[in-house]
Amino acid sequence: MKILIADDSRVMRQIVVRTLRQAGFGDHDLIEAANGQEAFDMVNSESPDLVLSDWNMPEMTGIEVLKKLRAAGNDVKFGFVTSESTPEMKEQADSAGALFFIVKPFSAERFDEVFAPILG
Amino acid sequence: MSIEVEVNENDLAEMVEQVWESYLDPEGVSPLIPTYDENQPSEVHSSVSITGSWTGYVVYASSVAAARRAAGAFLAMEPDEVGDEDLSDVLGELANIVGGNVKAMLPPGALLSLPQVVLAPEATARFPGTQRISGVYGMWEGEPVSISMWHSRGDNKEGAE
Repeated sequence: MKILIADDSRVMRQIVVRTLRQAGFGDHDLIEAANGQEAFDMVNSESPDLVLSDWNMPEMTGIEVLKKLRAAGNDVKFGFVTSESTPEMKEQADSAGALFFIVKPFSAERFDEVFAPILG
Repeated sequence: MSIEVEVNENDLAEMVEQVWESYLDPEGVSPLIPTYDENQPSEVHSSVSITGSWTGYVVYASSVAAARRAAGAFLAMEPDEVGDEDLSDVLGELANIVGGNVKAMLPPGALLSLPQVVLAPEATARFPGTQRISGVYGMWEGEPVSISMWHSRGDNKEGAE
């Protein structure tokens, strides 16, 4: 499976990659985007199977990326890995069609719990 | 309307502990030891602003050595291999994580900014029109680290003084 990790922080992308490996999902094809616009473009050009997106990013926020993808008819599996989590954000994410909402700081156990059903 | 301090020092300390457990000290061998010294020095800092239902800043500040150690832990490299860009990224992410967790405890309707990183002491960037409402000050392997919250006074025109 191809997994796109979208986060404007290089450090956080690295941590997400490392945590995916620790949780046993390191053998998937991992690609990275450094802002919302890049994430949107890469979903179209790279056709990932799953997107792990930060919420707060330059160019386009994660929720804007998701809404724009859905508006364009793209059904890629999409969820958030974010330091921000309020009930209204979770609600927005749910209603936009997000599959999961992982709050930073996160653990390999949390990744396993969320991604095992999705990635098998 | 009076200042509602929605996030107290214990809340902040709990968030900081989670960051240490998850990223900076996963083995549980080098925790942040509280000093309660709000005047302890810093050499670098990062901040996020929160605006809306609560307006102010969350600031992460430390020595360069502590920032290098944090970057080393985040990036799985030795502290002496860490460059300025690594330092900036890690400091920004630390402010972002704590700021995001703070925001989650505030009343709905707050916006979190992208982090600002300054490779200079916190004292060079006094946040105008703000007052410190809480902070966690400590030593991490002998190096100063602090996480503090600054509330904008303009947010509380009726209850001040």
